[in-house]
Amino acid sequence: MTAPASLYKLKLGFVALTDCAALVAAHKLGLDRELGLQFSLQRQPSWSAVRDKLMNGQLDAAHALYGLVYGMQLGMGSPQCDMAILMTLNQNGQGISLAPALAQQYRQGMSLREISRDLGRPLMLAHTFPTGTHAMWLYYWLAAQGIHPLRDARCVVIPPAQMDEAMQDGLLDGFCAGQPWHALAQRHAVASLVADSAAIWPDHPEKVVACRRELVQQQPALASRLVQTLLLASHWLDQPENHAQAAAWLAEDDYLAMSAALILQHWESTDVSPLRFCAAGQVNYPYLSDGLWFLQQYRRWGMWQGEGEQNVVAAVNQTALYQQAAQACGIPLPPDGMRHSVLMDGCHWPEQMDSAPSVGAALQFTH
Amino acid sequence: MTVSSSLRLLLVNDTDRPMAQLHAALTAAGYLVIAQAQGAAELLQLVDSQAPDIIIIDTESPSRDTLEQLALMGHAAPRPVVMFAEQGGLATIQAAVSAGVTAYVVDQVAASRLAPIIDMARVKFEEDARLKKRLAEVEEQLADRKLIERAKGILMERRQLTEAEAYALLRSQAMQSGLRLAELSRQLINSSKLLG
Repeated sequence: MTAPASLYKLKLGFVALTDCAALVAAHKLGLDRELGLQFSLQRQPSWSAVRDKLMNGQLDAAHALYGLVYGMQLGMGSPQCDMAILMTLNQNGQGISLAPALAQQYRQGMSLREISRDLGRPLMLAHTFPTGTHAMWLYYWLAAQGIHPLRDARCVVIPPAQMDEAMQDGLLDGFCAGQPWHALAQRHAVASLVADSAAIWPDHPEKVVACRRELVQQQPALASRLVQTLLLASHWLDQPENHAQAAAWLAEDDYLAMSAALILQHWESTDVSPLRFCAAGQVNYPYLSDGLWFLQQYRRWGMWQGEGEQNVVAAVNQTALYQQAAQACGIPLPPDGMRHSVLMDGCHWPEQMDSAPSVGAALQFTH
Repeated sequence: MTVSSSLRLLLVNDTDRPMAQLHAALTAAGYLVIAQAQGAAELLQLVDSQAPDIIIIDTESPSRDTLEQLALMGHAAPRPVVMFAEQGGLATIQAAVSAGVTAYVVDQVAASRLAPIIDMARVKFEEDARLKKRLAEVEEQLADRKLIERAKGILMERRQLTEAEAYALLRSQAMQSGLRLAELSRQLINSSKLLG
Protein backbone atom coordinates (compact mmCIF):
# COMPACT_ATOMS: atom_id res chain seq x y z
CA MET A 1 0.00 0.00 0.00
CA THR A 2 1.38 3.37 -0.99
CA ALA A 3 1.78 5.92 1.78
CA PRO A 4 -0.97 8.57 1.55
CA ALA A 5 1.64 11.35 1.38
CA SER A 6 2.74 10.18 -2.06
CA LEU A 7 -0.76 10.27 -3.51
CA TYR A 8 -1.35 12.89 -6.16
CA LYS A 9 -4.44 14.87 -5.33
CA LEU A 10 -6.78 15.52 -8.25
CA LYS A 11 -9.71 17.92 -8.01
CA LEU A 12 -12.50 16.42 -10.13
CA GLY A 13 -15.77 18.19 -10.85
CA PHE A 14 -19.06 16.45 -11.49
CA VAL A 15 -22.72 17.31 -11.88
CA ALA A 16 -25.38 15.32 -10.02
CA LEU A 17 -26.32 12.79 -12.71
CA THR A 18 -26.25 8.99 -12.84
CA ASP A 19 -23.54 9.10 -15.47
CA CYS A 20 -20.94 10.56 -13.11
CA ALA A 21 -20.88 7.03 -11.63
CA ALA A 22 -17.38 6.11 -12.80
CA LEU A 23 -15.84 8.93 -10.76
CA VAL A 24 -17.74 7.96 -7.62
CA ALA A 25 -17.13 4.22 -8.04
CA ALA A 26 -13.40 4.71 -8.69
CA HIS A 27 -13.11 6.67 -5.47
CA LYS A 28 -15.30 4.34 -3.38
CA LEU A 29 -13.49 1.25 -4.65
CA GLY A 30 -10.13 2.84 -3.86
CA LEU A 31 -8.99 2.49 -7.47
CA ASP A 32 -7.69 6.05 -7.36
CA ARG A 33 -5.33 5.26 -4.47
CA GLU A 34 -4.17 2.04 -6.11
CA LEU A 35 -2.95 4.10 -9.02
CA GLY A 36 -1.33 6.74 -6.80
CA LEU A 37 -4.12 9.28 -7.04
CA GLN A 38 -6.45 10.81 -4.52
CA PHE A 39 -9.71 12.01 -6.02
CA SER A 40 -11.31 15.05 -4.47
CA LEU A 41 -14.81 14.91 -5.95
CA GLN A 42 -16.50 18.29 -6.10
CA ARG A 43 -20.16 18.58 -7.03
CA GLN A 44 -20.88 21.58 -9.25
CA PRO A 45 -24.11 23.59 -9.35
CA SER A 46 -24.08 24.20 -13.12
CA TRP A 47 -22.21 23.34 -16.30
CA SER A 48 -21.16 26.99 -16.46
CA ALA A 49 -19.42 26.47 -13.12
CA VAL A 50 -17.70 23.31 -14.43
CA ARG A 51 -16.45 25.29 -17.40
CA ASP A 52 -15.23 28.27 -15.38
CA LYS A 53 -13.43 26.11 -12.84
CA LEU A 54 -11.74 23.97 -15.51
CA MET A 55 -10.61 27.14 -17.16
CA ASN A 56 -9.17 28.81 -14.09
CA GLY A 57 -7.63 25.69 -12.56
CA GLN A 58 -9.99 25.25 -9.61
CA LEU A 59 -10.69 21.83 -11.12
CA ASP A 60 -8.05 19.57 -12.69
CA ALA A 61 -10.58 17.57 -14.69
CA ALA A 62 -14.32 17.00 -14.78
CA HIS A 63 -17.29 14.87 -15.78
CA ALA A 64 -18.55 17.03 -18.63
CA LEU A 65 -21.11 17.11 -21.42
CA TYR A 66 -19.36 16.11 -24.65
CA GLY A 67 -20.32 19.37 -26.30
CA LEU A 68 -19.26 21.56 -23.39
CA VAL A 69 -15.63 20.69 -24.12
CA TYR A 70 -15.98 21.68 -27.77
CA GLY A 71 -17.79 24.87 -26.76
CA MET A 72 -14.72 25.82 -24.71
CA GLN A 73 -12.31 24.78 -27.45
CA LEU A 74 -14.13 26.98 -29.97
CA GLY A 75 -14.72 29.86 -27.56
CA MET A 76 -18.50 29.62 -27.79
CA GLY A 77 -19.94 31.57 -24.88
CA SER A 78 -16.62 31.74 -23.07
CA PRO A 79 -13.03 32.69 -23.72
CA GLN A 80 -11.30 30.13 -25.97
CA CYS A 81 -9.33 27.51 -24.06
CA ASP A 82 -7.40 24.57 -25.52
CA MET A 83 -9.13 21.51 -24.16
CA ALA A 84 -8.69 17.76 -24.03
CA ILE A 85 -11.17 14.88 -24.00
CA LEU A 86 -9.42 12.00 -22.27
CA MET A 87 -12.15 9.39 -22.66
CA THR A 88 -15.89 8.93 -23.03
CA LEU A 89 -17.55 8.07 -19.72
CA ASN A 90 -20.82 6.63 -20.98
CA GLN A 91 -23.14 6.06 -23.89
CA ASN A 92 -26.95 6.38 -23.90
CA GLY A 93 -29.05 6.87 -20.76
CA GLN A 94 -30.60 10.28 -21.59
CA GLY A 95 -34.10 10.99 -22.80
CA ILE A 96 -36.90 13.32 -23.79
CA SER A 97 -40.06 13.60 -21.69
CA LEU A 98 -43.28 15.40 -22.54
CA ALA A 99 -46.13 16.57 -20.32
CA PRO A 100 -48.42 13.54 -19.71
CA ALA A 101 -51.27 14.75 -21.97
CA LEU A 102 -48.91 15.54 -24.84
CA ALA A 103 -47.02 12.28 -24.33
CA GLN A 104 -50.29 10.40 -24.69
CA GLN A 105 -51.15 12.22 -27.93
CA TYR A 106 -47.64 11.52 -29.23
CA ARG A 107 -47.89 7.82 -28.44
CA GLN A 108 -51.26 7.66 -30.18
CA GLY A 109 -49.57 8.80 -33.34
CA MET A 110 -50.04 12.56 -33.39
CA SER A 111 -47.03 14.30 -34.88
CA LEU A 112 -45.18 17.01 -32.98
CA ARG A 113 -46.40 19.51 -35.57
CA GLU A 114 -50.01 18.53 -34.91
CA ILE A 115 -49.50 18.69 -31.17
CA SER A 116 -47.98 22.15 -31.48
CA ARG A 117 -50.80 23.27 -33.80
CA ASP A 118 -53.40 22.07 -31.31
CA LEU A 119 -51.67 24.02 -28.56
CA GLY A 120 -51.78 27.08 -30.78
CA ARG A 121 -48.18 27.97 -30.00
CA PRO A 122 -44.65 26.65 -30.40
CA LEU A 123 -43.64 23.84 -28.04
CA MET A 124 -41.71 25.10 -25.01
CA LEU A 125 -38.90 22.65 -24.40
CA ALA A 126 -35.90 22.65 -22.09
CA HIS A 127 -32.41 21.23 -22.29
CA THR A 128 -29.38 21.74 -20.09
CA PHE A 129 -26.63 23.77 -21.79
CA PRO A 130 -26.39 25.62 -25.12
CA THR A 131 -23.49 23.62 -26.57
CA GLY A 132 -24.27 20.43 -24.65
CA THR A 133 -25.42 16.98 -25.59
CA HIS A 134 -29.05 17.42 -24.52
CA ALA A 135 -29.41 20.49 -26.74
CA MET A 136 -28.08 18.51 -29.70
CA TRP A 137 -30.28 15.43 -29.01
CA LEU A 138 -33.35 17.64 -28.66
CA TYR A 139 -32.60 19.66 -31.81
CA TYR A 140 -31.95 16.48 -33.80
CA TRP A 141 -35.13 14.80 -32.54
CA LEU A 142 -37.24 17.86 -33.40
CA ALA A 143 -35.67 18.39 -36.83
CA ALA A 144 -36.12 14.72 -37.77
CA GLN A 145 -39.84 15.26 -37.15
CA GLY A 146 -40.18 18.43 -39.17
CA ILE A 147 -39.84 20.96 -36.35
CA HIS A 148 -37.05 23.51 -36.68
CA PRO A 149 -35.70 23.75 -33.13
CA LEU A 150 -34.78 27.41 -33.37
CA ARG A 151 -37.76 28.67 -35.37
CA ASP A 152 -40.75 26.38 -34.73
CA ALA A 153 -40.13 25.65 -31.04
CA ARG A 154 -38.85 27.58 -28.08
CA CYS A 155 -35.84 25.85 -26.56
CA VAL A 156 -34.60 27.11 -23.21
CA VAL A 157 -32.20 25.92 -20.55
CA ILE A 158 -33.47 24.77 -17.16
CA PRO A 159 -31.13 23.08 -14.64
CA PRO A 160 -32.07 19.36 -14.49
CA ALA A 161 -32.99 19.54 -10.82
CA GLN A 162 -35.58 22.21 -11.64
CA MET A 163 -37.18 20.42 -14.64
CA ASP A 164 -39.61 18.60 -12.40
CA GLU A 165 -40.92 21.81 -10.85
CA ALA A 166 -41.07 23.66 -14.18
CA MET A 167 -43.17 20.80 -15.61
CA GLN A 168 -45.37 20.84 -12.53
CA ASP A 169 -45.98 24.57 -12.94
CA GLY A 170 -46.89 24.06 -16.59
CA LEU A 171 -44.05 26.26 -17.81
CA LEU A 172 -42.63 23.53 -20.03
CA ASP A 173 -44.16 21.10 -22.52
CA GLY A 174 -41.18 18.79 -22.22
CA PHE A 175 -37.46 18.46 -21.63
CA CYS A 176 -34.32 16.61 -22.64
CA ALA A 177 -31.93 15.69 -19.83
CA GLY A 178 -30.11 12.83 -18.17
CA GLN A 179 -31.27 10.46 -15.48
CA PRO A 180 -32.49 10.28 -12.77
CA TRP A 181 -34.42 13.45 -13.60
CA HIS A 182 -36.90 11.74 -15.93
CA ALA A 183 -37.52 9.05 -13.35
CA LEU A 184 -38.25 11.77 -10.79
CA ALA A 185 -40.64 13.68 -13.07
CA GLN A 186 -42.37 10.42 -13.93
CA ARG A 187 -42.78 9.52 -10.27
CA HIS A 188 -44.47 12.89 -9.71
CA ALA A 189 -46.61 12.28 -12.80
CA VAL A 190 -45.60 15.61 -14.35
CA ALA A 191 -43.82 14.15 -17.39
CA SER A 192 -43.57 10.94 -19.34
CA LEU A 193 -40.59 9.64 -21.30
CA VAL A 194 -41.32 9.53 -25.04
CA ALA A 195 -37.85 9.04 -26.48
CA ASP A 196 -34.77 7.39 -25.16
CA SER A 197 -31.65 9.18 -26.40
CA ALA A 198 -30.46 5.87 -27.87
CA ALA A 199 -33.48 6.03 -30.19
CA ILE A 200 -32.04 9.25 -31.64
CA TRP A 201 -28.50 7.93 -31.99
CA PRO A 202 -27.92 4.35 -30.82
CA ASP A 203 -24.86 4.23 -28.54
CA HIS A 204 -24.29 7.98 -28.74
CA PRO A 205 -21.46 9.45 -26.67
CA GLU A 206 -22.63 11.40 -23.64
CA LYS A 207 -20.32 12.53 -20.86
CA VAL A 208 -16.54 12.66 -21.14
CA VAL A 209 -13.57 13.31 -18.90
CA ALA A 210 -12.39 16.79 -19.79
CA CYS A 211 -9.34 18.78 -18.77
CA ARG A 212 -7.26 21.62 -20.10
CA ARG A 213 -4.87 20.41 -22.78
CA GLU A 214 -1.86 21.73 -20.91
CA LEU A 215 -2.47 19.11 -18.19
CA VAL A 216 -2.05 16.34 -20.80
CA GLN A 217 1.02 18.04 -22.25
CA GLN A 218 2.70 18.76 -18.93
CA GLN A 219 1.71 15.64 -16.99
CA PRO A 220 0.94 12.86 -19.46
CA ALA A 221 1.65 10.11 -16.91
CA LEU A 222 -0.84 11.65 -14.50
CA ALA A 223 -3.49 11.95 -17.22
CA SER A 224 -2.87 8.31 -18.14
CA ARG A 225 -3.35 7.16 -14.55
CA LEU A 226 -6.62 9.10 -14.39
CA VAL A 227 -7.86 7.34 -17.52
CA GLN A 228 -6.78 3.92 -16.22
CA THR A 229 -8.54 4.50 -12.90
CA LEU A 230 -11.78 5.48 -14.62
CA LEU A 231 -11.57 2.65 -17.16
CA LEU A 232 -11.33 0.09 -14.36
CA ALA A 233 -14.27 1.74 -12.60
CA SER A 234 -16.28 1.79 -15.85
CA HIS A 235 -15.66 -1.90 -16.35
CA TRP A 236 -16.80 -2.59 -12.78
CA LEU A 237 -19.95 -0.51 -13.34
CA ASP A 238 -21.01 -2.54 -16.35
CA GLN A 239 -21.33 -5.73 -14.29
CA PRO A 240 -25.06 -6.01 -13.42
CA GLU A 241 -24.27 -7.39 -9.96
CA ASN A 242 -22.57 -4.09 -9.09
CA HIS A 243 -25.42 -1.77 -10.07
CA ALA A 244 -27.12 -1.82 -6.68
CA GLN A 245 -23.91 -0.93 -4.86
CA ALA A 246 -23.11 1.84 -7.35
CA ALA A 247 -26.62 3.27 -7.01
CA ALA A 248 -26.33 3.21 -3.22
CA TRP A 249 -23.09 5.19 -3.42
CA LEU A 250 -24.53 7.68 -5.91
CA ALA A 251 -27.54 8.16 -3.64
CA GLU A 252 -25.35 9.57 -0.84
CA ASP A 253 -25.64 13.22 0.10
CA ASP A 254 -22.22 14.12 -1.32
CA TYR A 255 -23.23 12.94 -4.78
CA LEU A 256 -26.83 12.85 -6.04
CA ALA A 257 -28.59 13.03 -2.67
CA MET A 258 -31.51 11.02 -4.01
CA SER A 259 -33.07 7.60 -3.52
CA ALA A 260 -31.06 4.65 -4.82
CA ALA A 261 -34.23 3.00 -6.11
CA LEU A 262 -34.91 5.98 -8.37
CA ILE A 263 -31.35 5.88 -9.71
CA LEU A 264 -31.61 2.15 -10.42
CA GLN A 265 -35.00 2.41 -12.10
CA HIS A 266 -33.74 3.62 -15.45
CA TRP A 267 -30.36 1.94 -15.29
CA GLU A 268 -31.95 -1.47 -14.98
CA SER A 269 -34.33 -0.92 -17.86
CA THR A 270 -34.24 -3.52 -20.59
CA ASP A 271 -33.99 -1.11 -23.50
CA VAL A 272 -32.19 -2.19 -26.61
CA SER A 273 -29.41 0.32 -25.98
CA PRO A 274 -29.26 0.95 -22.25
CA LEU A 275 -26.93 3.23 -20.34
CA ARG A 276 -23.49 1.67 -20.52
CA PHE A 277 -20.13 2.65 -19.13
CA CYS A 278 -17.56 0.39 -20.76
CA ALA A 279 -18.70 -2.50 -23.00
CA ALA A 280 -15.13 -3.79 -23.11
CA GLY A 281 -13.83 -0.34 -24.03
CA GLN A 282 -16.22 0.26 -26.93
CA VAL A 283 -17.78 3.10 -24.94
CA ASN A 284 -14.64 4.83 -23.77
CA TYR A 285 -12.46 5.35 -26.84
CA PRO A 286 -12.50 9.09 -27.73
CA TYR A 287 -13.67 8.45 -31.30
CA LEU A 288 -12.78 11.22 -33.74
CA SER A 289 -16.11 10.66 -35.52
CA ASP A 290 -17.98 11.57 -32.32
CA GLY A 291 -16.18 14.91 -32.04
CA LEU A 292 -16.79 15.65 -35.71
CA TRP A 293 -20.53 15.07 -35.22
CA PHE A 294 -20.78 17.87 -32.65
CA LEU A 295 -18.96 20.30 -34.92
CA GLN A 296 -21.28 19.38 -37.78
CA GLN A 297 -24.32 20.04 -35.59
CA TYR A 298 -22.96 23.41 -34.40
CA ARG A 299 -22.53 24.35 -38.03
CA ARG A 300 -26.01 23.07 -38.89
CA TRP A 301 -27.63 25.28 -36.26
CA GLY A 302 -25.60 28.35 -37.09
CA MET A 303 -23.61 28.23 -33.87
CA TRP A 304 -20.21 27.85 -35.53
CA GLN A 305 -18.85 28.85 -38.92
CA GLY A 306 -15.20 27.91 -38.45
CA GLU A 307 -13.06 25.56 -40.48
CA GLY A 308 -10.58 22.73 -40.02
CA GLU A 309 -12.84 20.32 -38.10
CA GLN A 310 -10.43 17.42 -38.55
CA ASN A 311 -7.60 19.33 -36.91
CA VAL A 312 -9.75 20.60 -34.07
CA VAL A 313 -10.95 17.09 -33.22
CA ALA A 314 -7.52 15.49 -33.58
CA ALA A 315 -6.17 18.03 -31.08
CA VAL A 316 -9.00 17.66 -28.54
CA ASN A 317 -9.64 13.89 -28.52
CA GLN A 318 -6.60 12.29 -26.88
CA THR A 319 -6.55 9.03 -28.81
CA ALA A 320 -2.84 8.29 -28.29
CA LEU A 321 -3.00 8.84 -24.55
CA TYR A 322 -6.15 6.74 -24.36
CA GLN A 323 -4.62 3.84 -26.30
CA GLN A 324 -1.61 3.75 -24.02
CA ALA A 325 -3.79 3.88 -20.89
CA ALA A 326 -6.25 1.24 -22.14
CA GLN A 327 -3.41 -1.12 -23.02
CA ALA A 328 -1.83 -0.56 -19.61
CA CYS A 329 -4.97 -1.78 -17.85
CA GLY A 330 -6.04 -4.44 -20.33
CA ILE A 331 -9.08 -2.77 -21.87
CA PRO A 332 -9.42 -3.72 -25.58
CA LEU A 333 -9.15 -1.04 -28.26
CA PRO A 334 -11.65 -0.60 -31.09
CA PRO A 335 -10.33 -1.30 -34.60
CA ASP A 336 -10.64 2.28 -35.74
CA GLY A 337 -10.74 5.87 -34.47
CA MET A 338 -13.87 6.40 -36.54
CA ARG A 339 -17.03 4.45 -35.88
CA HIS A 340 -20.11 4.14 -38.01
CA SER A 341 -23.60 5.08 -36.78
CA VAL A 342 -27.07 5.35 -38.29
CA LEU A 343 -29.22 8.00 -36.65
CA MET A 344 -33.01 8.11 -36.22
CA ASP A 345 -33.64 9.76 -39.59
CA GLY A 346 -31.62 7.15 -41.45
CA CYS A 347 -28.62 9.42 -41.89
CA HIS A 348 -25.22 7.81 -41.62
CA TRP A 349 -22.39 9.19 -39.55
CA PRO A 350 -19.80 9.74 -40.78
CA GLU A 351 -21.60 10.61 -43.99
CA GLN A 352 -20.94 7.98 -46.63
CA MET A 353 -19.44 9.38 -49.77
CA ASP A 354 -20.53 6.48 -51.97
CA SER A 355 -24.13 6.21 -50.74
CA ALA A 356 -27.10 7.77 -52.50
CA PRO A 357 -27.76 11.37 -51.51
CA SER A 358 -29.77 11.39 -48.33
CA VAL A 359 -33.27 12.77 -48.45
CA GLY A 360 -33.65 12.37 -44.71
CA ALA A 361 -34.93 15.11 -42.47
CA ALA A 362 -31.41 15.91 -41.36
CA LEU A 363 -30.91 17.73 -44.62
CA GLN A 364 -34.30 19.34 -44.49
CA PHE A 365 -33.18 21.92 -42.00
CA THR A 366 -30.15 23.98 -41.62
CA HIS A 367 -29.93 27.20 -39.72
CA MET B 1 -27.13 61.93 -10.29
CA THR B 2 -25.71 59.15 -12.40
CA VAL B 3 -27.50 57.35 -15.20
CA SER B 4 -27.24 54.19 -13.18
CA SER B 5 -29.93 55.24 -10.75
CA SER B 6 -32.56 54.59 -13.39
CA LEU B 7 -31.31 51.09 -14.15
CA ARG B 8 -33.72 48.25 -13.45
CA LEU B 9 -32.08 45.23 -11.88
CA LEU B 10 -33.17 41.61 -11.64
CA LEU B 11 -31.72 39.52 -8.81
CA VAL B 12 -31.49 35.75 -9.15
CA ASN B 13 -31.90 34.41 -5.67
CA ASP B 14 -31.52 30.63 -5.75
CA THR B 15 -28.49 29.83 -3.63
CA ASP B 16 -27.82 29.81 0.10
CA ARG B 17 -26.04 33.13 0.01
CA PRO B 18 -27.99 36.09 1.27
CA MET B 19 -29.06 38.09 -1.72
CA ALA B 20 -31.29 40.12 0.57
CA GLN B 21 -28.22 41.95 1.86
CA LEU B 22 -27.26 42.80 -1.67
CA HIS B 23 -30.81 43.91 -2.33
CA ALA B 24 -30.56 46.43 0.51
CA ALA B 25 -27.18 47.68 -0.67
CA LEU B 26 -28.44 48.11 -4.23
CA THR B 27 -31.52 49.97 -3.12
CA ALA B 28 -29.38 52.22 -0.93
CA ALA B 29 -27.18 52.93 -3.95
CA GLY B 30 -30.26 54.15 -5.82
CA TYR B 31 -31.03 51.18 -8.03
CA LEU B 32 -34.46 49.84 -8.74
CA VAL B 33 -34.59 46.13 -8.02
CA ILE B 34 -37.62 45.15 -10.09
CA ALA B 35 -37.80 41.49 -9.19
CA GLN B 36 -36.11 38.49 -7.63
CA ALA B 37 -36.18 35.17 -9.48
CA GLN B 38 -36.25 32.07 -7.31
CA GLY B 39 -35.25 29.72 -10.12
CA ALA B 40 -34.49 29.31 -13.80
CA ALA B 41 -38.09 29.17 -15.05
CA GLU B 42 -38.96 32.35 -13.22
CA LEU B 43 -35.78 33.96 -14.50
CA LEU B 44 -36.83 33.23 -18.09
CA GLN B 45 -40.30 34.65 -17.51
CA LEU B 46 -38.97 37.79 -15.86
CA VAL B 47 -36.41 38.41 -18.61
CA ASP B 48 -39.28 38.21 -21.11
CA SER B 49 -41.87 40.21 -19.22
CA GLN B 50 -39.76 42.77 -17.35
CA ALA B 51 -36.79 43.29 -19.67
CA PRO B 52 -34.36 44.12 -16.87
CA ASP B 53 -31.33 46.29 -17.70
CA ILE B 54 -28.99 44.15 -15.63
CA ILE B 55 -29.17 40.69 -14.09
CA ILE B 56 -27.31 39.91 -10.88
CA ILE B 57 -26.57 36.27 -10.14
CA ASP B 58 -24.43 34.18 -7.81
CA THR B 59 -21.51 32.29 -9.40
CA GLU B 60 -22.85 29.16 -7.67
CA SER B 61 -26.39 29.56 -8.99
CA PRO B 62 -27.73 26.60 -11.00
CA SER B 63 -29.56 29.12 -13.19
CA ARG B 64 -26.32 30.32 -14.77
CA ASP B 65 -26.74 27.77 -17.59
CA THR B 66 -30.08 29.39 -18.41
CA LEU B 67 -28.37 32.74 -18.95
CA GLU B 68 -25.68 31.04 -21.06
CA GLN B 69 -28.36 29.88 -23.47
CA LEU B 70 -29.90 33.36 -23.69
CA ALA B 71 -26.51 34.92 -24.35
CA LEU B 72 -25.24 32.36 -26.86
CA MET B 73 -28.40 31.69 -28.82
CA GLY B 74 -29.76 35.23 -28.63
CA HIS B 75 -33.38 34.16 -28.10
CA ALA B 76 -33.94 37.24 -26.01
CA ALA B 77 -31.77 40.29 -26.28
CA PRO B 78 -28.93 39.38 -23.96
CA ARG B 79 -28.58 41.49 -20.84
CA PRO B 80 -25.44 42.45 -19.06
CA VAL B 81 -25.02 40.03 -16.20
CA VAL B 82 -23.25 40.85 -12.99
CA MET B 83 -21.92 37.95 -10.98
CA PHE B 84 -21.92 37.74 -7.27
CA ALA B 85 -18.97 35.67 -6.12
CA GLU B 86 -17.42 34.57 -2.87
CA GLN B 87 -14.19 36.24 -1.80
CA GLY B 88 -12.36 33.05 -2.76
CA GLY B 89 -13.98 33.14 -6.17
CA LEU B 90 -11.67 35.85 -7.49
CA ALA B 91 -10.05 33.34 -9.81
CA THR B 92 -13.45 32.69 -11.30
CA ILE B 93 -13.87 36.38 -11.85
CA GLN B 94 -10.58 36.70 -13.71
CA ALA B 95 -11.07 33.71 -15.97
CA ALA B 96 -14.72 33.39 -16.70
CA VAL B 97 -16.02 36.47 -18.37
CA SER B 98 -18.33 34.76 -20.81
CA ALA B 99 -20.47 36.12 -23.61
CA GLY B 100 -23.20 37.65 -21.52
CA VAL B 101 -21.21 38.24 -18.39
CA THR B 102 -19.62 41.62 -18.14
CA ALA B 103 -18.66 42.07 -14.52
CA TYR B 104 -18.52 40.33 -11.21
CA VAL B 105 -19.41 41.61 -7.80
CA VAL B 106 -17.47 40.28 -4.86
CA ASP B 107 -19.23 39.25 -1.68
CA GLN B 108 -19.68 41.80 1.13
CA VAL B 109 -19.08 44.63 -1.22
CA ALA B 110 -19.80 48.11 0.07
CA ALA B 111 -22.78 49.84 -1.48
CA SER B 112 -20.50 52.62 -2.62
CA ARG B 113 -18.53 50.17 -4.74
CA LEU B 114 -21.55 48.68 -6.43
CA ALA B 115 -22.42 51.67 -8.58
CA PRO B 116 -19.14 51.82 -10.49
CA ILE B 117 -19.15 48.05 -11.03
CA ILE B 118 -22.67 48.04 -12.38
CA ASP B 119 -22.00 51.10 -14.53
CA MET B 120 -18.88 49.45 -15.89
CA ALA B 121 -20.88 46.33 -16.69
CA ARG B 122 -23.45 48.34 -18.56
CA VAL B 123 -20.92 50.38 -20.53
CA LYS B 124 -18.89 47.31 -21.46
CA PHE B 125 -22.04 45.47 -22.47
CA GLU B 126 -23.16 48.30 -24.71
CA GLU B 127 -19.72 48.48 -26.31
CA ASP B 128 -19.78 44.74 -26.97
CA ALA B 129 -23.28 44.96 -28.38
CA ARG B 130 -22.24 47.82 -30.68
CA LEU B 131 -19.22 45.87 -31.89
CA LYS B 132 -21.31 42.78 -32.53
CA LYS B 133 -23.88 44.81 -34.43
CA ARG B 134 -21.20 46.44 -36.54
CA LEU B 135 -19.64 43.11 -37.32
CA ALA B 136 -23.01 41.73 -38.36
CA GLU B 137 -23.57 44.75 -40.61
CA VAL B 138 -20.20 44.34 -42.27
CA GLU B 139 -20.90 40.65 -42.84
CA GLU B 140 -24.28 41.46 -44.33
CA GLN B 141 -22.77 44.07 -46.64
CA LEU B 142 -20.24 41.54 -47.83
CA ALA B 143 -22.92 38.95 -48.47
CA ASP B 144 -25.02 41.56 -50.31
CA ARG B 145 -22.09 42.51 -52.49
CA LYS B 146 -21.50 38.89 -53.44
CA LEU B 147 -25.15 38.49 -54.46
CA ILE B 148 -25.09 41.64 -56.56
CA GLU B 149 -21.88 40.55 -58.28
CA ARG B 150 -23.41 37.18 -59.18
CA ALA B 151 -26.63 38.77 -60.45
CA LYS B 152 -24.61 41.18 -62.58
CA GLY B 153 -22.66 38.26 -64.01
CA ILE B 154 -25.84 36.47 -64.97
CA LEU B 155 -27.25 39.54 -66.72
CA MET B 156 -23.99 40.18 -68.55
CA GLU B 157 -23.94 36.64 -69.84
CA ARG B 158 -27.61 36.26 -70.70
CA ARG B 159 -28.18 39.66 -72.22
CA GLN B 160 -24.70 40.39 -73.49
CA LEU B 161 -24.39 43.57 -71.38
CA THR B 162 -21.36 45.36 -70.11
CA GLU B 163 -20.84 45.42 -66.36
CA ALA B 164 -22.02 49.02 -66.10
CA GLU B 165 -25.14 48.29 -68.14
CA ALA B 166 -25.96 45.23 -66.07
CA TYR B 167 -25.62 47.23 -62.87
CA ALA B 168 -27.78 50.07 -64.20
CA LEU B 169 -30.47 47.58 -65.23
CA LEU B 170 -30.45 45.94 -61.81
CA ARG B 171 -30.70 49.31 -60.06
CA SER B 172 -33.59 50.57 -62.12
CA GLN B 173 -35.46 47.29 -61.74
CA ALA B 174 -34.89 47.37 -57.97
CA MET B 175 -36.26 50.89 -57.77
CA GLN B 176 -39.30 50.06 -59.88
CA SER B 177 -40.18 47.01 -57.83
CA GLY B 178 -39.32 48.61 -54.50
CA LEU B 179 -36.83 45.89 -53.60
CA ARG B 180 -33.38 46.14 -52.08
CA LEU B 181 -30.71 45.60 -54.68
CA ALA B 182 -29.44 42.53 -52.83
CA GLU B 183 -32.93 41.06 -52.55
CA LEU B 184 -33.62 41.54 -56.24
CA SER B 185 -30.24 39.93 -56.98
CA ARG B 186 -31.14 36.94 -54.82
CA GLN B 187 -34.43 36.52 -56.70
CA LEU B 188 -32.68 36.78 -60.03
CA ILE B 189 -30.08 34.17 -59.02
CA ASN B 190 -32.82 31.80 -57.82
CA SER B 191 -34.92 32.19 -60.97
CA SER B 192 -31.92 31.73 -63.21
CA LYS B 193 -31.26 28.41 -61.44
CA LEU B 194 -34.82 27.34 -62.23
CA LEU B 195 -34.53 28.38 -65.85
CA GLY B 196 -31.24 26.53 -66.13
